[in-house]
Amino acid sequence: MRKYSKWIFSGVIVILLAVIPQFFSIYYANFLVAFAIFSLYAVTLNLLLGYMGVLSFGHAMFFGVGAYSTALALTHIPGFPLLPAILIGGLAGGLLAFILSPLLVRVSGTAFAMLTLAFGQLIFVLALKYREVTGGEDGIGGYPLPPLNIPGVMSIDMTDQVNFYYFALVVITICLSILWFYTKTPFGSLVVGVRDNAMRLQYLGFNLPQTKAINLIVCGAFAGVAGAVNALLQKLVSTVGVLDINTSFLPIMMAYIGGTGNFFGPVIGSGVLYLLEDLVIRFTERIGLVNGVIFILVVTYLPLGLIGLFSMAKEKWFPKEKAS
Amino acid sequence: MSPTVILYISQAIHGLAYGMLLFLVASGLTMIFGMMGILNLAHASFAMLAAYFCYQVLRMFGNFWVALLIAPVIAGMFGVLTERYLLRPLHKQGHLAELLVTVGIMAVILEVVKLFWGTESLVVKIPPSLGGLVTFAGMTYPIYRIFVIGLATLVLGFMVLILFKTRLGKIVRATVADSDMVNALGINTPLVFMLVFGIGTWLAGIAGVVAGPLLTVFPGMADQLGMDAFVVVVVGGFGSLGGAFIVSIILGELNAYGIQFIPRLAPVLMFAFMAIVLAVKPLGLFGERE
Repeated sequence: MRKYSKWIFSGVIVILLAVIPQFFSIYYANFLVAFAIFSLYAVTLNLLLGYMGVLSFGHAMFFGVGAYSTALALTHIPGFPLLPAILIGGLAGGLLAFILSPLLVRVSGTAFAMLTLAFGQLIFVLALKYREVTGGEDGIGGYPLPPLNIPGVMSIDMTDQVNFYYFALVVITICLSILWFYTKTPFGSLVVGVRDNAMRLQYLGFNLPQTKAINLIVCGAFAGVAGAVNALLQKLVSTVGVLDINTSFLPIMMAYIGGTGNFFGPVIGSGVLYLLEDLVIRFTERIGLVNGVIFILVVTYLPLGLIGLFSMAKEKWFPKEKAS
Repeated sequence: MSPTVILYISQAIHGLAYGMLLFLVASGLTMIFGMMGILNLAHASFAMLAAYFCYQVLRMFGNFWVALLIAPVIAGMFGVLTERYLLRPLHKQGHLAELLVTVGIMAVILEVVKLFWGTESLVVKIPPSLGGLVTFAGMTYPIYRIFVIGLATLVLGFMVLILFKTRLGKIVRATVADSDMVNALGINTPLVFMLVFGIGTWLAGIAGVVAGPLLTVFPGMADQLGMDAFVVVVVGGFGSLGGAFIVSIILGELNAYGIQFIPRLAPVLMFAFMAIVLAVKPLGLFGERE
């Protein structure tokens, strides 16, 4: 029964997502795409925070580098196809993580957070100052959105927003599934082991720095993919949108609000934050104030996030029957 | 003296003034880090808050000296309250939670400031007694910047005296080194935490107030001061006061000469300096622990 209910639940969500652009305005479709992008982005952050136990305070650097690579490739290479454009974003994110990993694997705890924040700021300032390449504060815009070519079968026009909606959701879902299976592999367990007892892993003969580095690169690469899809959605990449410190803080908030102990926690947190923003913006412009207060409250009173709250409530009202 | 030499010297004094300002912010930051193990990301927000209080007090009383006295104290009191009611309950949950709460506080302070004072830059006038230029050794220099250097030196000299010559200072230094041990010896470490947090934010408040006339008072002030102070603490080594001092001065000079010779890359220079230091010593120049 439990197994079936899971499949039914997923089926219902897929059908809902499929029909949404038919019934709601394109505004809500784009809203959902943005939510999906940030879900993926926050999940990659949580693979570091919840799974490996280190907080990346400059996660926007992976996201932003992915977005910039995609935008630059589309601007400067005529006729650059769609899927490679996304791949190049992922590659750029992964490459950046690879370059930084020798430094980052050496530290943990607060030092890790500070180092990532420092490098995030370095890249932010670099992007801001290298106007020739990045366009500075104005950013890069007006690049073409190539169609999705399936050779010999068809070519789907991505400038149609409904088509793009389906495409983006499929890409994000594939990425999330890959990450989900990634956490279930033996290597995924090893990453959790780094969090729980790094010293013991070392005694058992596992290569600790290498494990951390690989997880870092995977997270960087998928954050880069999220950035790339974001570049395609927004059709504009600028430093303040994708590289600034708020872009780094946002996924942390999402992960914490949803719950860092669960793979899907950040997805829920991202949904909550997006809905909240849509709701709050009707009453007040002070969205930052509302978010800040909620964040403080969640960190203080709900360290396990909404998923933690949910499982606590389930435990209380529907206690598992003891096997007798 | 030739004009070039004068230019070099006046840039050096510029850098010194900014470096001292930076150290006022960074000293509190690095001490709080040494004691509590968290980098208080809201630290510079308190400096900004003090700058806004200064603006408000100036509008009410019209006297810069009163503002200089009152505004940092109010900011320090906010710091004490923050430590007592937001950070202390989280202490048992670990450093990450505390760090994250400071992020939340930063966001809230930013929004509150925008709510009360708006988003545009507010001008704080230099008091007439400190305005104008002073001439010495054939060069003219704004009095206000000299005043900043003097005030910072005075305050920091006073702090050094307290820290190294009194019993209280001894307790604080011991708590920075090993808070558990000090606690076990029967000293009320939570009280020491609160005190140092308050003094740290007070120092940041003084920096914010004196920075007001130089930078103007605007909501991005916390980011600007905070990032620089953050670089100071990271490069100088977490929890190292001496390191923070040396790096503050280096960064101040780097900033001043950078703006003079390669204006476009001045901010990059600062972060590049940090990246190089961290690549060689991940714990900073004078850091000893994680």
